[in-house]
Amino acid sequence: MDSLRALALPVDAPQEQETEVAPLPRGDEEAFQEIYELYRERIWALVVYSIGDSLQAQDILQAIFLKVFRGLRSFKRQSSFFTWIYRIALNECRNHQRRRRARHVPLEAIIGSRDEIDPKAIPNHREIREVLLQNAVRQLTYKMQDVVVLKYLQGLSYEEMSRVLGCSPGTVASRLNRALGELEERLRPFRRFL
Amino acid sequence: MRCWRFKMKRKFVPYLEGSLSPGGAKRLEKHMLDCESCRAMLARLRAGHAFAQQLPHLGLEAARRGPEFEAMMHDLGEMATPRRAWIRVWENWLYASATPRVVQGLLALVLALLALVVVSNRRILFGERQSIAALSNALDLSGFHSLSILDLSTNTRPHIATEGYVRDVRVDEEEGTLHFKLVEIPHGSGPFVVCEIMNPTGMSLPREGSRVRVYGVARYDGQPGREWHEVNPVLNIAVLKQ
Repeated sequence: MDSLRALALPVDAPQEQETEVAPLPRGDEEAFQEIYELYRERIWALVVYSIGDSLQAQDILQAIFLKVFRGLRSFKRQSSFFTWIYRIALNECRNHQRRRRARHVPLEAIIGSRDEIDPKAIPNHREIREVLLQNAVRQLTYKMQDVVVLKYLQGLSYEEMSRVLGCSPGTVASRLNRALGELEERLRPFRRFL
Repeated sequence: MRCWRFKMKRKFVPYLEGSLSPGGAKRLEKHMLDCESCRAMLARLRAGHAFAQQLPHLGLEAARRGPEFEAMMHDLGEMATPRRAWIRVWENWLYASATPRVVQGLLALVLALLALVVVSNRRILFGERQSIAALSNALDLSGFHSLSILDLSTNTRPHIATEGYVRDVRVDEEEGTLHFKLVEIPHGSGPFVVCEIMNPTGMSLPREGSRVRVYGVARYDGQPGREWHEVNPVLNIAVLKQ
């Protein structure tokens, strides 16, 4: 189990420690459970922002962990464990989105057009704010979604994001700039709710 | 006017977070004084950054379907280990098959399969004796061309019947066959035909020196050192004189 802990270090663990891992205890049910416990919340955040629908997201979360568990034996340690598991999660989300092309729902369709918005008429302000933010993120391109979620919900550094996404830290920074610019543009009309 | 300081722009978010080095922050601020485009962009990013910081952390707990989802996730560990999954399937099958109706059905299926195996392999299970006996009964022995051992050299018929004395009976253990010579004269040299019984257990075997009538297929063995006529296989033997 110690070897598993070493393998499945949290994302903020130093990289040097992750390379010093003992062989994975194969077929260890407890080990699977531990990986699941360690990563489910992080992966969940990634999936639910990509997919939107929480029921579908749960199915995808399950598929991701199934792939992770099945792939453990073939995990070559060419990357760190968290990079590997995040890539699986991102790929699964992309595959799902390709299969079911996400329908574009403009923010106005959720809350009404700019002229129609009456803050007093909205009973649950917090809920609306969350929906607005989530939908604004979901309307970004996949690449932009990834950097926003990895940065603001997972707390990854540019270096870590670049390893997960397979691009340079400079590209990550550029994508993040574009993503934040778009978020600002999309959410500007609803600033009063945010 | 558009600014081409791309590397500088990549530092906007670290600057907003306060994670940029003091020197880097100073350089960026100095650039801002002269670059209207970057000032506008930073203002947009500041707002975007503020929005992104408000993104709700959607916990799995809130969205969970209930205990069945957790159980499903727990099962993933078992699904990921083929042996355990196999055992699980086996256990489920055993549990399901414990009902009397299923047991009866399975028993009937096993019996049917057993009967099928017995019927299709009766020759192997009960030996050739029955089949040979049945074959000899089925054979129309009158249809075999009768001829003497001497006449075999001119024979062209496949099925023959010939008579003689049994000599040099021997068993080929390797092949599981029995051979003997059928001769015209009981003692001494003379014309002969070699007879081969494919399955000695399925036929009454001739005694050495007895006179028999052999029914079978006529052949000629032309191998060097042999070059003799054969009755191979012997299909029936009628003992004429013990």
